[in-house]
Amino acid sequence: MHTEHIKYSLMDYITGHLDEFDLDQVRLHLQTCPECQNHYNELIAVRDALQHTRKVLPSSSYYSTILPRVQKRLMGHRDPVWSDGKIISRLILPLAVSALLLIFLIRMPSDSSSGHDQTDALFQAVKDYSADDVIQAVSNEYTGSNVLSNPEVVSEGIAEHLQGEHFIREALLKQIESDEIVDMDIDGVLSGLNREQADQLLSGLTEREML
Amino acid sequence: MSVSNDLELVESFQKGNEASFNELVRRYQEKVYWIAHRFVNDHDQADDIVQEVFLKVYRALNDFRGDSGVYTWLYRITVNISLNTIRKQRIKDFLRIDEFFEYPSEESEQPDKQYEQSEQKQLIEEAIQRLPEKQKAVFILRYYEELPYEDISKILKTSVGGLKANYFHAVKNIGEFVHRAHRAH
Ligand SMILES: [Zn+2]
Repeated sequence: MHTEHIKYSLMDYITGHLDEFDLDQVRLHLQTCPECQNHYNELIAVRDALQHTRKVLPSSSYYSTILPRVQKRLMGHRDPVWSDGKIISRLILPLAVSALLLIFLIRMPSDSSSGHDQTDALFQAVKDYSADDVIQAVSNEYTGSNVLSNPEVVSEGIAEHLQGEHFIREALLKQIESDEIVDMDIDGVLSGLNREQADQLLSGLTEREML
Repeated sequence: MSVSNDLELVESFQKGNEASFNELVRRYQEKVYWIAHRFVNDHDQADDIVQEVFLKVYRALNDFRGDSGVYTWLYRITVNISLNTIRKQRIKDFLRIDEFFEYPSEESEQPDKQYEQSEQKQLIEEAIQRLPEKQKAVFILRYYEELPYEDISKILKTSVGGLKANYFHAVKNIGEFVHRAHRAH
């Protein structure tokens, strides 16, 4: 009888991270479960491929440079650009949100009336994604990688979301809030920009909007 | 590298002994670097993360109460800052911010044929880079760092059962990515 518990132990089985009891359980299960046998073969192939990835060592002196630089930054007071950067990032955050909105709206099919019923379930699925998932999905779709099975549907679903317009804003804010340990600093995402660059971005976006 | 020693260092720092911080850095810099490097697959970015991690550690050290182990705390900070770095990059990529302000660097890149052998390596690296955040974090901490699930559970604040599922799906996704890439060629 197939159980998820065994399936999820397969990689640890392959890499020798199970104790003897679990080891026997998995071994016995593999003899009788074709499904897990298939998973096992796939995981073995990945394990073999992974052996190609080995450490590229940093230069031998690298580690000795870490502490002095940390100390230097601890001693140095805040950059004078800090306060300015703050102002700009306040400008940039809404900008980033509107840029996202804009890109989606441009990409949104102008006539989405056909095939609606069929995709309802998928829209629902998209709604259930976390902000991370959505950004990742969009990013993947954007760069042409199909981690999610049907990027067209995903982007369509996201576009649907955006008819409620709050979505991306909320998604971004949710990300900021959910980060307990580290300040999310999405605010600082683009804070490297100076005012002139921000203006450039703004006018760039305006141009796109007019298309 | 016993846990109580780490804790002693923290306590000593809290009593005003700055040198204890230096010792913590020396003790963990290599680990932190490697975790960061697994996340971003780039030395300069990993180096930035290392700096951020230890700055964060220094500032948070006085508030450390020992609810978790020092090392799980430190790893958690590392994972979080690594994920933040990736998120920022992703948003930048997505908005193509760099396109507005940076000229593409002169293409000094790979003469394809010589790198047949490293092609597989690159494919695998790419597959890892493209994993969803959670799966990626679990994969790095379990496969490369070989941490016990109980520790990863503290670092990522996820149940052990959930972690095991994440780990499985991570490896499966890597396999599928490579498989698809091979078929596309
Ligand atoms: Zn099974």
